[in-house]
Amino acid sequence: MAGVLRSDTGKGLILSAPATLYVGLLVAVPLCILVAYSFWTQTYVEIDRTLTWANYQEAFTDPLVRHLIIRSVAIAGAVTLATVCLAYPVAYFIAFRTKKKTLWLLLITIPFWSSYLLRVFSWKLILGFNGVMNSALISLGLIQEPLTFLLYNEFAVVLTLAHAWAPFAILPIYVSLQKIDRSLLEAATDLGCSKLERFVRVTLPLTVPGIIAACLIIFIPTVGDYVTPALVGGSQGKMVANLIQVQFGAANNWPLGATLSLLAMLSVACVAILFVVAVTALGRRIR
Amino acid sequence: MTKTSSLMAAVVATFAASQALANAADLTVFDWSGYEDQGFFGDYVEKYGGPPSYTYFGSVDEAFTKLQSGFEADLAHPCTDALRKWVAADMINPIDTSKLENWDKLMPKIKEVDGITIDGQTYMVPFEWGNTGLIYRTDMISADDVSLQLLANPAYQGKVAIPDAASSAFAMAALATGASSYTDMSDEEFQKAADYLRAIHPNVRFYWSDAGQLDQAIASGEVTMGWGWNQSELNLIWNETPAVMMRDVDKGIATWVCGYVHLKSAKQSDEQVYDMLNALSSAASGKYIIESWGYAHANEDAFAQADPELIDTYGFSDVDSFFEGSLFFDAVNPELESKMLKEFERIKAGF
Repeated sequence: MAGVLRSDTGKGLILSAPATLYVGLLVAVPLCILVAYSFWTQTYVEIDRTLTWANYQEAFTDPLVRHLIIRSVAIAGAVTLATVCLAYPVAYFIAFRTKKKTLWLLLITIPFWSSYLLRVFSWKLILGFNGVMNSALISLGLIQEPLTFLLYNEFAVVLTLAHAWAPFAILPIYVSLQKIDRSLLEAATDLGCSKLERFVRVTLPLTVPGIIAACLIIFIPTVGDYVTPALVGGSQGKMVANLIQVQFGAANNWPLGATLSLLAMLSVACVAILFVVAVTALGRRIR
Repeated sequence: MTKTSSLMAAVVATFAASQALANAADLTVFDWSGYEDQGFFGDYVEKYGGPPSYTYFGSVDEAFTKLQSGFEADLAHPCTDALRKWVAADMINPIDTSKLENWDKLMPKIKEVDGITIDGQTYMVPFEWGNTGLIYRTDMISADDVSLQLLANPAYQGKVAIPDAASSAFAMAALATGASSYTDMSDEEFQKAADYLRAIHPNVRFYWSDAGQLDQAIASGEVTMGWGWNQSELNLIWNETPAVMMRDVDKGIATWVCGYVHLKSAKQSDEQVYDMLNALSSAASGKYIIESWGYAHANEDAFAQADPELIDTYGFSDVDSFFEGSLFFDAVNPELESKMLKEFERIKAGF
């Protein structure tokens, strides 16, 4: 026994045990409870524990669920695209164009020093009817009436989320850029690549893992975001998590809420897997 | 007396006091935030030397979910429309009205509201009540023109806010479409109410989830009409915004009643619980809530004691005529409630 514990496998098991236990208790067990709930039904204040597909039937036949899941995936997709496109140049700048890397990385994390809710509210202040943006435009004489398309729609949700998640895109892309062997870039130049070609054929393919990581880190949590659409989404920006929240709150229908949560998780998983497969194939083709 | 002996005396006195009476903070109240105002229960503070402990919820639904998953407290503060559900979930103790000093002084009309007494058992001590109605900017819409139907007028695109709560929205729709009953609509009436909400949807700037959002939007002119609580009207009055609530019973207004319930999970003695309930329902607390908060209290004597001018400003001068024509938020039958919730989600998503 002692021999096993001293072996590499044993040491590995011991090291990973706390995390495994933690994840097991706090992720796997609740997930099992969620699955169990999704097969039960709610009758007023009681839970009927007879196993049934009723919730799944309801969720699949209801166009509202489909609509909200598709909208959530689309919004999260837009957020991911916007964030990664905006984050790449920043990461590139930190990795290649500045010596004060630590300072820049610190600056990037500053928004995280305040609560997420406060940052959402600041966007409301900026985009609001008599908010910073509208007041500035009016005082500059550019508009007469406050612009109303800034807040309470999908655009506001995408903007707020893209700002909130920016560091999660910058950091993995920065790491992958930082890892690039600089002699490869020199070699590309020596072999006659223009700056653009060098970027497209060497730098970009080498940072694909970083881009994938950034995309997944942003896409997966934003599909299920509840508070941002609730605060800045208005009457057009509701997402699937808002429907789930209603089931666990006002509707008091936990089983249906559990089913919707699982369906949202499944959709996210499918989209994420498709994305990884597609990007990996694309990365190979560029090279 | 030396310093030491006076300290000793203080310690002994404190100890004796704590022996004589239970600790004030041992009583826990599960409440909306803001209700920890000591003016609401002055008698309790006087007797126990301090306020009870407070834990907060943001909505009655949230409170229900939390209590159902095992949260414990002595008293909670839901509104009448939730009571049938809370009783069905076996969460609250019946109230022994003989232990309430002020029970006979509470307004009969308020005590009669559905849910306070269920199957002959009283479950809630009504505390405060107020209105839910259409608040509008008087400088943008005239009192003659304003109506619930105006919300659906295409001229007000993006200028309307209604609550993100199915029951409140359907109560408004029931008033607007003239449904015979809000709690027990026929299929046809339900369809009419849903069509009305659907017609409003393109005009809705946002479905408000906290009243502050509505106050600010009306104050800035972002929206010109909103279905909201009298608290919003008061904030606007205090903010000197030209806005009022449409209080015409023929055009449609609703009345809500909230109060305190004795939870089954209560740990403190009945004596302490009822001391708190008595403090909350006293006329002095009522006078305070009317004058400082602009909310109406359930105790009739409170209106006699409070400043008549303020009562008039806050719209509670003619209570009786109000009760005649107003819709009360009664408990909706569970089947209709879930139908409302489902339909409301569809409407909000544009279906």
